[in-house]
Amino acid sequence: MGPSSTSHAGTGKLIPPFPPQTQLDGLLAGAGYKVRSSDLHHVAQRLESLESAMVSSPSHVVSHLASDTVHYNPADLVSWVDSLLSELTHSHHHPSNPSSSSSSSSTSPPSRPLPVDLDDLFSVPSAAINWVQSEMPLSQQPPPPPPPQQLTVVTTMEEDSGIRLVHALMTCAELVQRGDLHLAGALVDEMTALLTSINTECGIGKVAGYFIDALSRRIVGAGSVPAPPHETEILYHHFYETSPYLKFAHFTANQAILEAFEGYDCVHVIDFSLMHGLQWPALIQALALRPGGPPLLRLTGIGPPSPDGRDTLREIGLGLAEVARSVNVRFAFRGVAASRLEDVKPWMLQVNPNEALAVNSIMQLHKLLGPDPTPIESVLSWIRGLNPKIVTLVEQEVNHNQTGFLDRFTEALYYYSTVFDSLEAACQIQPDKALAEMYLQMEICNIVCYEGAARVERHEPLPKWRDRFNRAGFRPLHLGSNAFNQASMLLMLFSTEGYSVEENEGCLRLGWHSRPLIAASAWQASPGPLPMGADDYWNDD
Amino acid sequence: MTRDKEEKRRPVLFINDHADILLEILKRLDGRSLCTAACVCRLWRALATADSVWEHLCLRRIVSPPPSSPGSSVRPVVSALGGYRRLYMLCVRHLLTRLDRDPGGRWRTSSAWDELQLSLSLFCVDYYERLGGRFGDTAATSSLMFLCKPVNV
Repeated sequence: MGPSSTSHAGTGKLIPPFPPQTQLDGLLAGAGYKVRSSDLHHVAQRLESLESAMVSSPSHVVSHLASDTVHYNPADLVSWVDSLLSELTHSHHHPSNPSSSSSSSSTSPPSRPLPVDLDDLFSVPSAAINWVQSEMPLSQQPPPPPPPQQLTVVTTMEEDSGIRLVHALMTCAELVQRGDLHLAGALVDEMTALLTSINTECGIGKVAGYFIDALSRRIVGAGSVPAPPHETEILYHHFYETSPYLKFAHFTANQAILEAFEGYDCVHVIDFSLMHGLQWPALIQALALRPGGPPLLRLTGIGPPSPDGRDTLREIGLGLAEVARSVNVRFAFRGVAASRLEDVKPWMLQVNPNEALAVNSIMQLHKLLGPDPTPIESVLSWIRGLNPKIVTLVEQEVNHNQTGFLDRFTEALYYYSTVFDSLEAACQIQPDKALAEMYLQMEICNIVCYEGAARVERHEPLPKWRDRFNRAGFRPLHLGSNAFNQASMLLMLFSTEGYSVEENEGCLRLGWHSRPLIAASAWQASPGPLPMGADDYWNDD
Repeated sequence: MTRDKEEKRRPVLFINDHADILLEILKRLDGRSLCTAACVCRLWRALATADSVWEHLCLRRIVSPPPSSPGSSVRPVVSALGGYRRLYMLCVRHLLTRLDRDPGGRWRTSSAWDELQLSLSLFCVDYYERLGGRFGDTAATSSLMFLCKPVNV
């Protein structure tokens, strides 16, 4: 099932999985006309002048137009309208366009509200920039706000207000990128008003609501208050329950780790983000049942320091130890409290060279891709220095680390629309779904509102991670068919059609309707000398 | 009352007198029937809720478990995590239901043993969540909630 086209509503999925690449306006293309988006403004004006000319001209001219004019290629709307208009003006010797004194108001200082008719603005997204910036000379006077029916060619969107909202969001993001924050703020108000007319319970309305909120925070400069770790963990837990993404991540990583640990009696797992430790009971149980009996399992969990004196890491460790005791697996836990991953030093992890080591990172490494100096190189370097048997990496399969704000915004809009769609289908139980959505909303806010070191949600797609890992002295470890089968079975348990697992060069990607959303891969240390600097971290600081 | 009528009223075979035969019959039932059987009388309840019957139900589809992990080594793990009856009710039952509704079956390259392994993993996560109730709210025991929803056809 390929990406749905831009034009038609009816379902909740108004956003195609990928941003449109074409220059032609999608709506008009659906009607058979080929018009470039940048020409929409021009066409709208011309059509309107045509109508006023036809209304005011004597009837013989109009009938001449209807019967004798040869219309070449009406699909090329721009030149067709132009040709009609020139015919009319020739027979008329009337100026085709009534020069309106009110048009000057459109180029007045931005403190005046935007052009009244929302249709007008949203139907010509890129042209709107030209409209409001007075330094751009317009070849003719902009028309007065036309009555809606004159623009029915470009605004068949009474029912497609979702598409208008998307266009508005793009326009606003472009304004923000240009630095025109005042106008962007006004546009946010308009969009908020538009939101009231569409369903915000599902589909585009819900996602748009979050993005509008994030944009307004960015414009105001507020940013969002980072949630305390305890709250983040609760939201994470709900996200775990209501969607298959985290379960897929955990089960796939566990399967790879299980296979890598075959034959070893002392094994050590380092988890870069322990959260509630939901990944590990399944591994403990699988190790309990492995042929030859369970090994000694050590788990080192990294997590944020807990407030108010509680040692949450230790509590999680105790719970996991209880599970291990029940199934007769020798188990030892160690917690490392660090608020940022780059603050962790390898000596804190107390790795024993005689044990098999697995490093597990579920959606953590992208936080290290911040501005220069990026910590990722040094972290990968010390991981390589630990000589792990396997490094499991699960990351969001999208590029949210582009420098340009508009590109990032567009990617995020399409990505999170898809994620929200899938969440909608997978779980209707409240309040769990709402809490899971709040978890995603935190990510959206971070991507849209922040810059620099504060922006930690810097997702990158798998090919970029491959490059990084290859440079850092790792080579890929293929996830086997067991992992694939297990993932497929897991998805089947989620009572929704639409999820799919695909295998790609030894990595598994979970997606919604053929748009991959999360990618799992495994890496092992390449044989050969360690890359420069990997050994430095063995010394105590 | 004549002796003939008394003899006719006495049943030839009273199943409750033969618990071993009853057990063999119960072992062949499906989950739903087994639960119904447990409501009949005290003897039936004792037999139908015994974990060995449910173990039989869970492992029934497995023709031959791998020699490295025979059913006997699985048993202590499952008992520790809550028993076969709970395993069936929480995980295996839903897995089998979904199985029936998925005629395409592209994942069917996995064996019944793999299915049981997946059920066990999910069961273990559930056990972990039930342990401390440390997560405070009612979300504590709902990681398997997604299994209980009706399938969207």
